[in-house]
Amino acid sequence: MNCVIAFKWAKNPQDARVGADGAVDWRAAKMVASDDDAAAVAVARDLAAGDELVGLTVGDGDSPWAAARGASRTLSVADVEPNADSAVLGEVLAAGVRRIGGADIVIIGDGVWDQMVAMSLAGQLGWAALAGVVSATAEGDRLHVTRKSGTGTEVIEVGTPVVLAVAARRAEDKPPGMKDVLAARKKPLEKVAMADLGVTSVGGVTVRGTALPEAADARIFDGTDPEAAVEQLMTALRSEGVL
Amino acid sequence: MDSWIIVTEAGPVAGMTAAARELGGTVTAVVVGPRPLAESTAACDCDSVQWFATPDSVPAEALALQVTDLVAAASPRLVLALDDPAGRVLLAAAATRLGAALVSSVPRLSVEGDNLVVTRPAVEGKVVETLVVPGALAGVFDGEDVDVVSRAPAAITEVAPSGMALSMRIIETTVAPGEAAGLQQAERVVSIGRGVRKREDIALVEELADAAHAKMACTLPICDDMRWYDESHVVGTSTQQIAPDLYIAVGVSGQPQHMSGVRAAKVIVAINNDPEATIFKKCHFGILGDLYEIVPALTAAFKRA
Repeated sequence: MNCVIAFKWAKNPQDARVGADGAVDWRAAKMVASDDDAAAVAVARDLAAGDELVGLTVGDGDSPWAAARGASRTLSVADVEPNADSAVLGEVLAAGVRRIGGADIVIIGDGVWDQMVAMSLAGQLGWAALAGVVSATAEGDRLHVTRKSGTGTEVIEVGTPVVLAVAARRAEDKPPGMKDVLAARKKPLEKVAMADLGVTSVGGVTVRGTALPEAADARIFDGTDPEAAVEQLMTALRSEGVL
Repeated sequence: MDSWIIVTEAGPVAGMTAAARELGGTVTAVVVGPRPLAESTAACDCDSVQWFATPDSVPAEALALQVTDLVAAASPRLVLALDDPAGRVLLAAAATRLGAALVSSVPRLSVEGDNLVVTRPAVEGKVVETLVVPGALAGVFDGEDVDVVSRAPAAITEVAPSGMALSMRIIETTVAPGEAAGLQQAERVVSIGRGVRKREDIALVEELADAAHAKMACTLPICDDMRWYDESHVVGTSTQQIAPDLYIAVGVSGQPQHMSGVRAAKVIVAINNDPEATIFKKCHFGILGDLYEIVPALTAAFKRA
């Protein structure tokens, strides 16, 4: 089945600098692949199985990332910045999927850094969607999708078109080798701007500001004297009513 | 300003309703799932419940269109859902139809004039971010639950789904391996992370768990890399979320992937020898010290208690 893998659409909060006044500086942070992106591309590769797999990314990240993992070409929407309104990025990605055309399945990381972008992408395409996806297999023209549920996992049979938001269990275990990385740089990369896709939305959310959190409520006891620290802790737990 | 909440799984529904109550208008719940879920939601202080009964073989996502139609017809100012996979899918579908701003984390809400104001942790909890939303808002509620003051449950109206998307059906259900470790029901849980140096040292912590009548849990590396426990003991984003009264984390650094699994715990205690450990910012109580000294002392204290 023809698949689009959306990747590197978020910045890692660990790369942001927080100033003494609570201001956040994202300038040093680039769009990066999360563990979810790696899990998503693994699912995408299996589902594409011989048909086309196309990468879709935004912003300033390393565009050949998906190409090094099996994508035959990539569309990059360059002028995209993170937005507190997840619907904006959802709209950009949906427009990107339409531009690529012909996709049966869109696979995207479920997004530890923004858990609504993938859902918004599905909403704006008007496609069915499943989140918390662990794995998926093609059974004829249908998919068997395993996803997390409240009490365990469910296998859901679903038709296409569909958006699958894949949640990683852990970090990527087999990154591509140098040969694949070099070959990826020769694969077609189309760079467009949001305006080329007809996306003008700026979102419905204004960030008024950021501040340092108030001093943590946590009470930390000094364990230099273990007996005394434990006694203080037990007293605290008793007053919380959990003993 | 009226609000709707979307409920597809049990969770902090009363907390979500309380957040929606900040707007001052009515709170309507749309529930997709079994009857007991509709009943527990009706007892969470909402004004009315619209209930889509789904057969066991139909996932809540199959009703995205019907839920969207219902919510959009009311054109509410605010729609909230919990962060379970189905809830998020339905929320985004509704948000798209309403043209609402979509915010992935809404722990707290207030109203300033005509604006909705969201205050939430950002940059992995290093800052608090204030968002102003002048129009309709769809958000994932990830705040704390509240106790409901007893009042009569809201009326439940069953809505017959028309044209349910039969393109989606559940063909297999597996209960989480976590059930085997009993973590979902446990009132007290003691967990270990990489601060525990050797496999033999686990016995020390297990003794604490015994004394505290607690179940044992661990972080993902303890299972995947060290193989000291099987997966049923792992707590975190990609494994299981638990809600004990007391969670004692021993030698756990406090990575977001782990802490999201214990967000619903009532009291979190951290024992760690690193004053910079992230967990000291995410716990209620902590002891800064050598776990090899603290744990035996704590075990003795629980035995005396």
